[in-house]
Amino acid sequence: MVRKPHPKKDIEEALRHAEAAGWRISVGGSHAWGKMFCPYKEDVCRCGEFCVTSIWSTPKNTGTHAKALLRVVDNCTTHKKATTAKEDKE
Amino acid sequence: MKEYNFTLKYRLAADDADHDAIVERLGEAGCTDVLVGVGIAGRLALQFDREADSAQDAIREALEDIKSAVPTAMLVEACPDFVSATEIADLVGKTRQNIRKLMVSNSDFPSPAHDGPAVTLWHLSEVLEWLEARKEYKLDKALQETAHAAREVNVAKEASRLPSRSRELETLVA
Repeated sequence: MVRKPHPKKDIEEALRHAEAAGWRISVGGSHAWGKMFCPYKEDVCRCGEFCVTSIWSTPKNTGTHAKALLRVVDNCTTHKKATTAKEDKE
Repeated sequence: MKEYNFTLKYRLAADDADHDAIVERLGEAGCTDVLVGVGIAGRLALQFDREADSAQDAIREALEDIKSAVPTAMLVEACPDFVSATEIADLVGKTRQNIRKLMVSNSDFPSPAHDGPAVTLWHLSEVLEWLEARKEYKLDKALQETAHAAREVNVAKEASRLPSRSRELETLVA
């Protein structure tokens, strides 16, 4: 793997889920461990602020932070549309 | 202590708009129970999962934390407060059609806060209160509390930006 793994297992799993959905992850920061970038660059995307989301090195609650990251990936409106369209076709 | 989920959206001042630096300051201040969204230049979105004795306390403490870490940031909105029919449906676990039906078939359904050509928005706290009183909905107490507290913040924000409110107008719209 090219990317440095996140030291917390739950968060690393959330990051892999994000990568599987096409998100790019960049590592850097001190309190911040890095950032994740949404794959859709559409003007119509309504997620806005969370299209780039900061990842903590040591969040107050690891499980909660991991879940919040998963929520951002799964709630992305463009991502939802894409997966629903795929399900409709199948 | 209960956990409250809410989002605060801010506009950043031009001389303090470096997202990376702001995130580091939030970390330094111990605000690591917040998910920080930095996807829009000049804006900051903070999604809190905060433990407190009440939703009001949770939001107040969060506002204080941001005030001290990013003093020049201006609050845009506290969420969840303004919601569309779709968002209401998602929040109470019903379909959008179900909620629309409640709206059209009940004349006492709360009035919208904004009724525009593109979107109609309600205050979540009013809708939840109505749902609770009329129908047998299993509602999340923490969500109700949070919606009310978020609305208080938004009202306070609006009032503070327009200090010369007229008493006469207040009676006319009441």
